[in-house]
Amino acid sequence: MENLEALLHGFSIALSGNHIFLMVIGVLLGILVGVLPGLGAPNGVSLLLPLTFGMQPVSAIILLSSMYWGALFGGSVTSILFNIPGEPSSVATTFDGYPMARDGRPTTAFGSAAFGALAGVVLITLSASWVAKAALAFGPPEYFAVYFLAFASFVGMGGSPPIKTLVALAIGFALAAVGIDTVSGSVRLTMGVDELVKGVSFVVAVMGLFGIGELLVAVEDEFHVKAISSKVEWREVFRTLTHLPQYGWVLLRSAAIGCWMGITPGGPTAASFMSYGIAKRLSSRHANFGKGEPEGIVAPETADHAAGTSALLPMLSLGIPGSATAAVMMGGLMIWGLNPGPMLFVEQKDFVWGLIASMYLGNVIAVILVLLTVPVFAALMRIPFFIIAPLIVIICTVGAYSVSNSYLDVVLMMGFGVLGYLFKKAHYPLAPLVLAIVIGDKAEDAFRQSMLMSRGSLAIFFSSALVTTLVLLGVALLVLPVMWQTLGKMINRSPRRP
Amino acid sequence: MVSGRSLEAATALLTGAFGAAVVVSSLDNGIGWSAAGVDAGTFPFIAGLVVLGGSAFNLVQGWLHARDVVLRSSELKRLGVLFIPTVVYVGVIPLIGMYLASAGYVFGALAWHKRGSYIFSAVAAISATLALYLIFERTFQISLPRGVLGDIIGF
Repeated sequence: MENLEALLHGFSIALSGNHIFLMVIGVLLGILVGVLPGLGAPNGVSLLLPLTFGMQPVSAIILLSSMYWGALFGGSVTSILFNIPGEPSSVATTFDGYPMARDGRPTTAFGSAAFGALAGVVLITLSASWVAKAALAFGPPEYFAVYFLAFASFVGMGGSPPIKTLVALAIGFALAAVGIDTVSGSVRLTMGVDELVKGVSFVVAVMGLFGIGELLVAVEDEFHVKAISSKVEWREVFRTLTHLPQYGWVLLRSAAIGCWMGITPGGPTAASFMSYGIAKRLSSRHANFGKGEPEGIVAPETADHAAGTSALLPMLSLGIPGSATAAVMMGGLMIWGLNPGPMLFVEQKDFVWGLIASMYLGNVIAVILVLLTVPVFAALMRIPFFIIAPLIVIICTVGAYSVSNSYLDVVLMMGFGVLGYLFKKAHYPLAPLVLAIVIGDKAEDAFRQSMLMSRGSLAIFFSSALVTTLVLLGVALLVLPVMWQTLGKMINRSPRRP
Repeated sequence: MVSGRSLEAATALLTGAFGAAVVVSSLDNGIGWSAAGVDAGTFPFIAGLVVLGGSAFNLVQGWLHARDVVLRSSELKRLGVLFIPTVVYVGVIPLIGMYLASAGYVFGALAWHKRGSYIFSAVAAISATLALYLIFERTFQISLPRGVLGDIIGF
């Protein structure tokens, strides 16, 4: 009850004309950096930070966090329209969002994404405290178990040949290892190219694999988008909203995954993949996944936003940033004269609850702005392919360059484009490759740190109830589908025999 | 025309070559267990071996079960029309810089498709380049490469 009162007080702070205006500005700027691949929330926050020095801390954090929500939404926009994830965490949104938009239903896709995201934010404020407690019990073995679970929930669920999936996964692992090894400090797999010491950026890989790769596939058959109405179909938006309760269980589960991965440094990207994978596994309509199934948009978006939001919580309550953006914001907090940590909740009630209230309001504003801009984005889809294709190439090129001001990244991006094209034509799955590039390195580190702790004994992964449960859950996710498939085949086969 | 067989083979050879490079390169970092725990090269080494083995399997599998034609010559032509200029675009960036290359690329691509409408193509090229400048250079203060030409004229 006390929290509810505090939240209402927070709303009274956030609901002033000045703050609403800051939210709108923040969200719009966020959508811009989110839509452009290569630029992301950390860029936007760093850009705005100097402007906030003269502001009240509450106003400053509202501006910065609104920009962050805008970026989370903006990342999904290009995923849905062009199959190019504007942010790494919106890769999983492309799987069903893009087929749906190409089918002429971008409004439904945006609606599913927006409302799923909003539900994620609401659920996280309700469930944050107990997840935060669980996350504090985490050490290297638990982290490894979580990453293992993320892989297990995602790998082997597509219809691709298993050996091709394995090759894609292993290539991702090898790419994740390029650069400085965080455990030993030695340089790995740079093949004599000094610039590779910084590693292969995930954003560069994704832009090539999805953006350029998709373009090359699309140009083959005279790419025609079905006639798309550029009006916002509000009826369609409300229909999507009324359909939302039927995904109740999906929403809850995805928000929990997102919340958990956001607090532990698994991050929004791993969260959205894991959520999509589990949704596909458990859904009764799993055959529709990848062809424009709303559940396949709701699940990753909810997890993405829940993770993005919850990444701020350990920053506020413990002083540990859960993401790059949270790290920049924490720098801001210190500049404004606040000390992140448990005392913040006691000493700066206005600030903390103003921020939490602005999470709700900022996201509502973001949903409205995204839906209002749908006509603009839908109009983009009607631009003929021969005009949009060179523009996509340029956006990907500049985006790849701006990741770390490196021309090598542009060349790598083109290489990934060719690889993405070949993989698509030869039916290799891209998702395991991407997932391994994102969390392969972290999983390896966690495994090796665990091994150091246990002096080489695998028993450490069964040393406590928490880690044992996680590992067994992962194994079950890996083994059960194979068993079901084999069983199903045996049952199907037997009656046919004479 | 490209057959399914050669596509499968090309992909498997490409992944296989990558796997071999990873295996060889990871040997430098040491593999196995040492005083510092699991050696840095161990995981890349295993990943490389998996890629290498899997590629060999895919190569044989692709050869035995390949579908007939995956790319007809008309499709191949369309692919080339997009791909070759893109490679040229990326290739000339170190020479003439990103702004000039982008403008030239957009102009070329549009003028080629809509023969004759040079004014439209020029307007599109200039506005795309201007948008790049305003968003990246001005707003986010990311300096895009000017190339050798930029150094010469001092931009």
